[in-house]
Amino acid sequence: MKKLVAVGLASAMALSLTACGAKEQPAATTAAAAATEAATEAAKEEVKDDAKVVVFWYDESDVFLGFVRDAMNKEFEALGITPDNQFAANNQSTQIDQINTAIAGGADILVVNQVTSGASDTAEDILAAAGDIPVVFFNRPIGVDGSETPVLTENNTVAFIGTDAPEAGHMQGEMIGEYVVANFDAIDINKDGKISYAMMKGDEANVEAIYRTQYGLEDANAVIEAAGKPALVYFDAANTDCYQVDQGGAWSAAAAKEYMDTNFVSYNEANGNMIELVICNNDGMAEGVIASLQEKGYNTGDGHVVPVFGVDATDNAKALIADGAMTGTIKQDDKGMAAAVANTAKAILEGATPAEALASLNDDRFSIDAEINTKMYVAFAPYTGE
Amino acid sequence: MTNPVKNMQRAIADYKQMNAKDQKRYLTDMVLNNALYILMAIFVIYTAIKQPNFLTLGSFANLITQVAAYLPLALGIAGCIVLTGTDLSAGRVVGLTAAIAGVFMQKADFANKMFQNLPEITLGWILATMLIVVLIGAMIGLVNGFFVAKFSLHPFIVTLSTQLITYGIILWFFALNGNNGQPISGLSREYKDFVGGAMFRLGGVAVPRYVLYAIILTVVMWFIWNKTTFGKNMFAVGSNAEAAKVSGVNVFMTTVLVHTLAGAMYGYAGFIEGVRAGSVAASTGLNAECDAIAACVIGGVSFVGGTGKISGIILGVFVLRIIFVALTMLGVDSSSLYIIKGAIILCACALDMRKYLVKK
Amino acid sequence: MEQNTLLKMVGITKTFPGVKALDGVNFEVKRGTVHALMGENGAGKSTLMKCLFGMYAKDGGQIYLEGNEINFKNSKEALDNGVAMVHQELNQALKRNVMDNIWLGRYPTIAGITVNEKKMYQDTMAIFKELDIDVDPYKIMSTMPVSQRQMVEIAKAVSYNSKVIVFDEPTSSLTEEEVEHLFKIINMLRDRGVGIIYISHKMAEIKRISDYITVMRDGKWVATERAEDLEMQDIIRLMVGRELTNQFPPKTNTPGEVYLKVEGITGMYNQLKEVSFEAKRGEIVGLAGLDASGRTETLESIFGIRTRKEGKIFLDGKQCLNRNAQESIKNGFALLTEERRATGIFGVLDIKANTVISSLKRHKRFGIFLSEKSQREDTQYYIDAMRTKTPSQETKIRTLSGGNQQKVIIGRWLLTEPEVLLLDEPTRGIDVGAKYEIYQLILDLANKGKTVLMVSSEMPELLGVCDRIVVMSGGRVAGEVDARNTTQEEIMTLAAKYV
Repeated sequence: MKKLVAVGLASAMALSLTACGAKEQPAATTAAAAATEAATEAAKEEVKDDAKVVVFWYDESDVFLGFVRDAMNKEFEALGITPDNQFAANNQSTQIDQINTAIAGGADILVVNQVTSGASDTAEDILAAAGDIPVVFFNRPIGVDGSETPVLTENNTVAFIGTDAPEAGHMQGEMIGEYVVANFDAIDINKDGKISYAMMKGDEANVEAIYRTQYGLEDANAVIEAAGKPALVYFDAANTDCYQVDQGGAWSAAAAKEYMDTNFVSYNEANGNMIELVICNNDGMAEGVIASLQEKGYNTGDGHVVPVFGVDATDNAKALIADGAMTGTIKQDDKGMAAAVANTAKAILEGATPAEALASLNDDRFSIDAEINTKMYVAFAPYTGE
Repeated sequence: MTNPVKNMQRAIADYKQMNAKDQKRYLTDMVLNNALYILMAIFVIYTAIKQPNFLTLGSFANLITQVAAYLPLALGIAGCIVLTGTDLSAGRVVGLTAAIAGVFMQKADFANKMFQNLPEITLGWILATMLIVVLIGAMIGLVNGFFVAKFSLHPFIVTLSTQLITYGIILWFFALNGNNGQPISGLSREYKDFVGGAMFRLGGVAVPRYVLYAIILTVVMWFIWNKTTFGKNMFAVGSNAEAAKVSGVNVFMTTVLVHTLAGAMYGYAGFIEGVRAGSVAASTGLNAECDAIAACVIGGVSFVGGTGKISGIILGVFVLRIIFVALTMLGVDSSSLYIIKGAIILCACALDMRKYLVKK
Repeated sequence: MEQNTLLKMVGITKTFPGVKALDGVNFEVKRGTVHALMGENGAGKSTLMKCLFGMYAKDGGQIYLEGNEINFKNSKEALDNGVAMVHQELNQALKRNVMDNIWLGRYPTIAGITVNEKKMYQDTMAIFKELDIDVDPYKIMSTMPVSQRQMVEIAKAVSYNSKVIVFDEPTSSLTEEEVEHLFKIINMLRDRGVGIIYISHKMAEIKRISDYITVMRDGKWVATERAEDLEMQDIIRLMVGRELTNQFPPKTNTPGEVYLKVEGITGMYNQLKEVSFEAKRGEIVGLAGLDASGRTETLESIFGIRTRKEGKIFLDGKQCLNRNAQESIKNGFALLTEERRATGIFGVLDIKANTVISSLKRHKRFGIFLSEKSQREDTQYYIDAMRTKTPSQETKIRTLSGGNQQKVIIGRWLLTEPEVLLLDEPTRGIDVGAKYEIYQLILDLANKGKTVLMVSSEMPELLGVCDRIVVMSGGRVAGEVDARNTTQEEIMTLAAKYV
């Protein structure tokens, strides 16, 4: 019996190995087919037929990046390239191991969504390991307060495509401020003349999260106070952080929902201290907050709506806004990001320097940094429904 | 004494004497006992055919570098497994010690330096930092060991608690001095060189110094396990704690020391981890214990207790890293990677357990 | 086939790599008889039984139950077909109660869903009444002495309406009284037509209880005779293949002056009450008594692994605190525990590790390094000195027979160079030949001036080996007798003093 189990296990393993092998086949065939197609269609294409593009993602389960990935795979395919996607499970060391392995495996270009956002040293190390192989960083910032500048200016094999980290925060704050000024009395459930808010932070250490948490509130208050209304008040006077953070650093809906479920136990309409507005670092967390609100009878379409704001403009968030359950989000352009990355990578493969590659895109969705010509921003836009 | 050639000759002689039925059983046994090696061989050959870069010197350098990074943690946790326990706090201890080492080793002129009044980065201060983080790791291990030994709590419970406590300390530490949870960056060149500086190059790929350190640690651990009273006592306690007590082994001290030594190894792992990742974040070290435990178990350090060899742990780490490197090179997606890893752990454990189940 | 043949095993063969464990063994049990199966450890008794119960697949031969060929795949199947075994080492769910254990795997149910506790209780009580067993079905197994747990095991076998019941060393942990009760039950079962296979090393018992005796040696069948036709000497001769004239070696030791003095030991968490006695250099002192009379507790209290409330221990007039095992070892004490498997051996470790564990400081070099060479030398010395049968020092100890395991553990203790040896049931589960060797070893130690305290449940053993016997009863010392001119009756009377 035991022997049977052992043999079974062993063969299961062997099978799973062959299965992986089998999976490899179609991918390779598609790549070859795509390459042939590309060759016949546009003989002027100079990209190596078997150009090996490896894309490193910080985590597989990030919702927004999932949309970026879909779009990016399509973009690359259209360019005749089959990218190899690697996921680091939110662990920088794993990503470093993956990058080293890809280099040993003969990668032609590395497209990196760095795990530890804001760590310029890590970016330096990746560049050092890559040597002559070009690296395109995207989405997650590779420095804080300008620490990425030397990384981007002192190397000629690197480009960064991201968003201007504080921009989303500023934009969200402005949107919230304007909304509050226009709807102050409706939002103020307990009619105490003040609006109490909750803040959901995606990750304690992520610079985007930090900026969004800071400016989302500061800019909103600036607008509100300019209109002569009292500033937003954090719902829990005992919490001096004035935010609640996903301890796993995963910007997750689950964490946000758990926080709100707990908050509503002590802060609710019956106690006269209901949370009247919720600011979230991303749409995933906003979804969690809305789920919690809906369980309590809010934001269902016919009851009172507690305004919830997010960032990303994911499809789910757009649907929620259409239903009236969510108030606003900041559109982070997933398709633009994907197009920018794919086209930059291709241009570099064709021999352009990173700066030339970015400059060649020439698209009004993108703007190149005023001082650093290897840094490009994909624009945000407020979104409150179509 | 164990002479491989003679053993082989004897095995062949034994085999010839058996009848057909026994020969068949003998062969099945042999295949099953070595199934892991056989599968790894098939796996390596397959990868090499599909991806010729897999069998290059540079690829080998990449592999041993990774093994050297994962080995210290496995060596530490193995002692806990020999005692039929486990240690869930390992990853977080790595995170904490990496953060402390990182802060101590920040460049003097770095804009976001967390503590301003630290000594200049000299070899002495680097060594002192290493000692400090190893001691901090050992302290957490000591707490683990104390609660396990004193209150007869299962290590699972104790280390789960210290894991959470340590993570709390990590979050608190990252918020110190207005750091606001941002990653610890700006690690000094001297520190990076000391840990990750290239010793030499293989196929163009640098082999960092911590490969040498891992070799030294392995030798030290082998010595502790095989040549010291403490090592012998550890196996005795893991094999039969009651009998060990009667035999005059200080079970309490042994348990505490095993966990303390494990903690010290995590401290060392933290010391190199910051350099490996280039910076330290609050999530550094997350779930690192899982890979370490898996490596031990694959290498035959059994949860049955009292069994395990240093060579087995090295083998286990190699197996896991080979899988990782090969599948990454083949471009297999990470969902399959997890499935294959899980299947191999399950398989290795089932085959290992076979040794304890037969002939009852 | 004869009408009254119940179980018949013909030409059973079993080979392990390199060893022929069973070589064409024939064995036959008749209805309503007790059939003793004898042989030294390693003679193949257990292997034969394991082939019967399907724990091993036999390589050759046939097994017939009431004339039908059978081939059980596991002990559960055997049980369902009326073949049961009462194990030497009881495999029970210790945290569960008595009736849970009896009906395990076939709980009576109501509508196939809930367990019918009431029926379970009634059925259990009916069997207990039939067998005259006085045990509460709701009692948790781990709270009961071994003897009662064994009774539960027997009740379980009976509850399956077993036709054949195998008893494997059933009396090794029973007191005389409990043995009497067991024999009563066995006789009752025999009268009901059950065939009983009785495996034991105790000659006197075998002679008393069995109708037939089969002797095995080296995996082969040697003889089957009616019990009344065989004298004890004949059995031993058949078992060892040579004449064993004496069960005990001649006594050569001469006790010197008083060395160990135990004064008023009272237990903190056990029944010991003011236990005091003395032992001389070169003297072998026996501790006799019934189960739970406090013999084991006395040894363990002296060794410091049981907490003493009061009491002092003196060696050569100097007080020893003996607060834990390390301290006692340092003071020259050694304890061979009763439960070899639970507290003696390190099963997964090899002979060498098992031998040197208590004396590692002997091998220390430069303060930390343990010399491999000196460990090997010590281990080899005791393998040779005790004539331990093992393929190598690297052999895992659990693969050795009980006697050889015991020798390794005695070797472990002798390496600590003890002055006082506390031996708890040193020959339990060990075959006749090996027993003799262990007696000789104990005598040699006494000859060298060591003090030996020895607990045994086998009265003849105490009478044959000891100089003096301290009899315990209800946690107290009931009296002391000179082993040379006492009788079993005198000891039994003392043992019952405080019960």
